[in-house]
Amino acid sequence: MEDMIHVDRAMSTNQDIKISAKGVQVYYADNHAIKDVDVEIDDKTVTAFIGPSGCGKSTFLRCLNRMNDTIDICRVEGDIRIDGEDIYDPKVDPVQLRAKVGMVFQKPNPFPKSIYDNVAYGPKIHGLARNKADLDEIVEKSLRKAALWNEAKDRLQAPGTGLSGGQQQRLCIARAIATAPEVLLMDEPCSALDPIATAQVEELIDELRQTFSVVIVTHSMQQAARVSQKTAFFHLGNLVEYDDTDKIFTNPHDPRTESYISGRIG
Amino acid sequence: MKTSLLAADARTKKRNAAEKRFRAYGLSAIIVAMSALLILLTSVLVNGLSSFQQTFITMDIELAEERVDKEGNRDPAEMAKTTTIGYNSILRDALIATIEGEGLTTDLSNRDIADMISKEASATVRDRVLANPDLVGQTVTFDVLASGRIDGYFKGDVTLESAALDSNTSPEALTLAQQLADAGVIETKFNWNFFIWPDASVQRPEAAGLGVAILGSLYMMIVVLVLALPIGVASSIYLEEFAPKNRITDIIEVNISNLAAVPSIVYGILGLAIFINFMEFNQSSPLVGGLVLTLMTLPTIIISTRAALKSVPPSIRDAALGVGASKMQSVFHHVLPLAAPGILTGTIIGLAQALGETAPLLLIGMVAFVREYPAAYTPEAGLFGEASTALPVQVFNWTQRSDPAFVERASGAIITLLVFLLIMNAVAIYLRRRFERRW
Repeated sequence: MEDMIHVDRAMSTNQDIKISAKGVQVYYADNHAIKDVDVEIDDKTVTAFIGPSGCGKSTFLRCLNRMNDTIDICRVEGDIRIDGEDIYDPKVDPVQLRAKVGMVFQKPNPFPKSIYDNVAYGPKIHGLARNKADLDEIVEKSLRKAALWNEAKDRLQAPGTGLSGGQQQRLCIARAIATAPEVLLMDEPCSALDPIATAQVEELIDELRQTFSVVIVTHSMQQAARVSQKTAFFHLGNLVEYDDTDKIFTNPHDPRTESYISGRIG
Repeated sequence: MKTSLLAADARTKKRNAAEKRFRAYGLSAIIVAMSALLILLTSVLVNGLSSFQQTFITMDIELAEERVDKEGNRDPAEMAKTTTIGYNSILRDALIATIEGEGLTTDLSNRDIADMISKEASATVRDRVLANPDLVGQTVTFDVLASGRIDGYFKGDVTLESAALDSNTSPEALTLAQQLADAGVIETKFNWNFFIWPDASVQRPEAAGLGVAILGSLYMMIVVLVLALPIGVASSIYLEEFAPKNRITDIIEVNISNLAAVPSIVYGILGLAIFINFMEFNQSSPLVGGLVLTLMTLPTIIISTRAALKSVPPSIRDAALGVGASKMQSVFHHVLPLAAPGILTGTIIGLAQALGETAPLLLIGMVAFVREYPAAYTPEAGLFGEASTALPVQVFNWTQRSDPAFVERASGAIITLLVFLLIMNAVAIYLRRRFERRW
């Protein structure tokens, strides 16, 4: 286990709390999917959610930008604040929230439009660009940040769906960061990618940490160890342990965490 | 026991036999279906293709002033006093002169010779003269319609034997017609007028055309398209994307599926009760026909649109919502364009269904005999309010008439209808290909 951990992981000096969740409960109809989760996510940090399938880590992630609103039977209770503002307040428009909290999904899902339009769509609907030159700049900046610019600059008008899987996922990341979010949620972003593409995306995540707070759900403990500074371990809807990644992987508190990371459960 | 791969065991043999049987069933089903289609098409084409041809008599007609313009002042109002009966004798004399001019002799009475010319012909000539009084006093060459029996003779439907038993013609008349044809006076040629002329009475099948029916069907399709497409698409989008999933929407959904299975004649009764008796729209009007067909087509459009919307992967909706699009933006910017080919195909198939529908139109009076071209708008009748008929109803009408010449007309109308349906389906396929995008 040890050798997989970045030893020289630089801890961010700025440790402001970006998201704070208290007593979060999520129900799918009668199924109690998230049980009383308290967590505080730091700004400019990569936080990984790990745990066995069905433990609720994706569900909890989707609470953070209210994507669960689209599921009719889903009910969220508790208190989730971003920068101290309750995101489940009736006055909050989920559309505005999602512009602030971007999301990258498990399967690359570019729009069946050109690469340019994929990235430009968010800025367009949020009115982030005053003119075409502005928009071009945003697109270029986002694609550069997503490490896709060199591959895509000559074919911006080609369909985004024509890219390879790893490129598509980086396109989705470019699309998510084009709206200048403050938090980026990633739901198993590498599960459909090969090891090379995974490495590229992980490198990218590490860079994005300079600008955003990144929350990543992953099945791969190695990945969590490689990219994150903080790790939360979910099990059966409970947040079992939440601590610095080093600590979780080297000296876990809870016996369940230890069993999971050593491969006995999950 | 050791088994060899080279010999199939009993179980494998059984499985292979079952598969072979199933293939045979499938193949024979396709053969039956294809041959049924082939028989249908052949019979329609054999009967109907000849309706696009028509027999004409070319003759010089002397439009003497004392016969067509008794007052001699070229005033169409005065000239209109000469009725088609007056023109009948002019045409008869012209034909007799033509026969003599060709050096032919016949035992036929003048009356029988006149019967070789269609009763429609005198009206055609009269209309030409009234529209252009300068023709009076001249000798003008006209192509006039031959009577239905003469026409049938050149198409092989009437023979000398059948003519002997027929009170409307005689073997002598057919022999004379053959001689005239040899002399180049009688000719069979392509008949555009079949698509232009209105229906004609039972006595003159040769003059019956589809003009009014095509116009009526066109008006109805416009009404259906303008009403059914927006209503159908809007309701499907609402039901599929916005409506909460609860008991009420479940009930609505079940009812829409049931409505698609309601016999079309029931929609006719509904249209009769609501649009004609209650709302007092004009009977036989394309407006009412279009409204009834709209009701009938709506479930088809709604069901196919919902299927098209459902087939758009949810990841596209997630992606749009994830970058902060509103529900409506995600539907209109992303889901709808992807669903468009399916929606268009469903709509066109619904329209094609409506175009071929007969039963509900019978109930709202579109089965009437209509000679006047319906106007799209008149102040008295309103939009699409003038009496009309429709293509399938015209087929129904003609198949009921006793004169065998209408068999050919009805088949010709069926071919026309099929061609329209084929065109619509081709457009549906083209649009589907054109707008289909992969994701």
